[in-house]
Amino acid sequence: MRHPGRWVAAGVILVVVAMMIHTLISHIPSQTGRGTQWRFGWDQVGALIFTSPYVSGAELTLWLTFVAMSIGIIGGLITAVLRLSANPILSGCAFLFTWFFRGTPVIVQIFFWYNILSIYPKLSLGIPFGTEFVHLNPSKVITGFVAAAILGLGVNEAAYMSEIVRAGFLSVDVGQSEAAASLGMGRALTTRRILLPQAMRVIIPPTGNEVISMLKLTSLASFVGIAELNYQASATAARTFAPIPPLIAISLWYLAFTTVLSIIQYFIERRFSRGFGRARTGPRFWEVMRRPFGIRRQPSPVPTLVHHTVAA
Amino acid sequence: MVEARGVTKSFGQHLVLKGVDFTVETGNVACILGPSGSGKSTFLRCINHLEGFDGGSIRLDGTLVGYRERGDKLYELNDRALCEFRAQIGMVFQRFNLFPHLTALENVMIGPSTVRHRRRHTSRPTTWRLRQLLTAVLERLRRLPSVMLEPLRSHRAMRKAAREEALRLLARVGLSDKASNYPAQLSGGQQQRVAIARALAMHPKLMLFDEPTSALDPELVGEVLDVMKDLAREGMTMIVVTHEIGFAREAADTVSFMDDGRILETGAPADVLSRPSNPRFQEFLSRVLH
Repeated sequence: MRHPGRWVAAGVILVVVAMMIHTLISHIPSQTGRGTQWRFGWDQVGALIFTSPYVSGAELTLWLTFVAMSIGIIGGLITAVLRLSANPILSGCAFLFTWFFRGTPVIVQIFFWYNILSIYPKLSLGIPFGTEFVHLNPSKVITGFVAAAILGLGVNEAAYMSEIVRAGFLSVDVGQSEAAASLGMGRALTTRRILLPQAMRVIIPPTGNEVISMLKLTSLASFVGIAELNYQASATAARTFAPIPPLIAISLWYLAFTTVLSIIQYFIERRFSRGFGRARTGPRFWEVMRRPFGIRRQPSPVPTLVHHTVAA
Repeated sequence: MVEARGVTKSFGQHLVLKGVDFTVETGNVACILGPSGSGKSTFLRCINHLEGFDGGSIRLDGTLVGYRERGDKLYELNDRALCEFRAQIGMVFQRFNLFPHLTALENVMIGPSTVRHRRRHTSRPTTWRLRQLLTAVLERLRRLPSVMLEPLRSHRAMRKAAREEALRLLARVGLSDKASNYPAQLSGGQQQRVAIARALAMHPKLMLFDEPTSALDPELVGEVLDVMKDLAREGMTMIVVTHEIGFAREAADTVSFMDDGRILETGAPADVLSRPSNPRFQEFLSRVLH
């Protein structure tokens, strides 16, 4: 048997997984005194997961992610370009912005925007509601709270994105801007047509990471009263005194969204790798899966020793 | 065409150019030879102001490079003027510096299709310019609908012209079948030829070559040198920093030897390469030519 260590490891992992599955589907004596119940409350999970509050919470989560990331990406791009500019004032402002909004916790920033907005009641921010998410009940989602969440998340994200974009620009070979300059292309044109497309290759993976992270960060919006997924879980738990099933339900929603986002990221990465020398960004999925188990039609030949006679 | 007088440049504490005097006539090919670290590439980059310099002057057809003379003082040119200026000079780099996200054709096209320089009459007074501006604005308001479409139309026309010209240039360097290949799919020699086509697309007055064949496989050097010799034959003014003595002998009109930030000897290749008078040059040639 080749690679015995792999088989042992696989065996151990299989046993652990079996134990985990067993405990997940186990039963405990019922807390309401009527026989047994699922330890993890799967029946309640099933009952909750597709109900209207959870579905609308999921929609709201997606919407918050989308809006906050839009603000974050655009803000980050602008900040990064300012940071890389030759003007020291612009560069310094960008640096201070990044320093401040990365240096304070997100939840504190959200609370700050929320309280500031309550001090300035006349500040209207025109949040676009007229999208597909028409199921949102305006009376549940009050403009001030949503603005606070979006600004808090978006501006914080812009600070992080600016560093990612800056890293992307730094990764482009300096010869590229020299070549563009020698053609007579100005700075703005070079940045737009030459540097940015190449920087995207380095920017996309961490940005995908940030989108997925933002999906989870939107749960902080529940602390300013926005009825997204986390809020729904807390509400259900407060109502039924069974905290685990709602948490499992929202975790499944988050997992589903994350999976879809990861797939989208893969396709976006592929599109931006065009022209960089590889036909694909990596081996195919099933090729990777086959490798650890050494499952092949023909085993790869072990090289045999060839004796060379060296001419004296 | 190019006149450099007493050019000095230091990188921090290190003095790289120590007073370089250099001249190239229009239509001539000048080769600069020299050991590494002598400042040849730095000097070449000063000519199209990719690097600024600290002392002396460089003139292209009488115009000062990189700076504007006003009275007695020199003012560094702003970005836009520098771009207009650089469009007249084409540069080919040692590492090709092709744009990897564009095909060969798009690489050659991108210069002419995106760079648009408006001629400025800098000698006119401001009041005259304001009047022109006012009349231009009023005229535009009158023709607003067609004006809004105009940038689009002229852009499309520019792109079409640029594409045809690019195809012609790629044929000229012998790569018309590789037009839709990305640089990563091309060999080194092919990439460098695309780079030459890209530089030629801007119809420059002067071509600068910074060790164009140093990063190439010896077998691929020949195809690039052939393109350069064709260019020389057609009368392009070229300044070539190279280690290819054979090219210098065949195609150059003047050969200069640069060492330690100074030009030590200049002359016709037939004289200078067979009977160098400078001892340092003799040593260099004997080492390079064995």
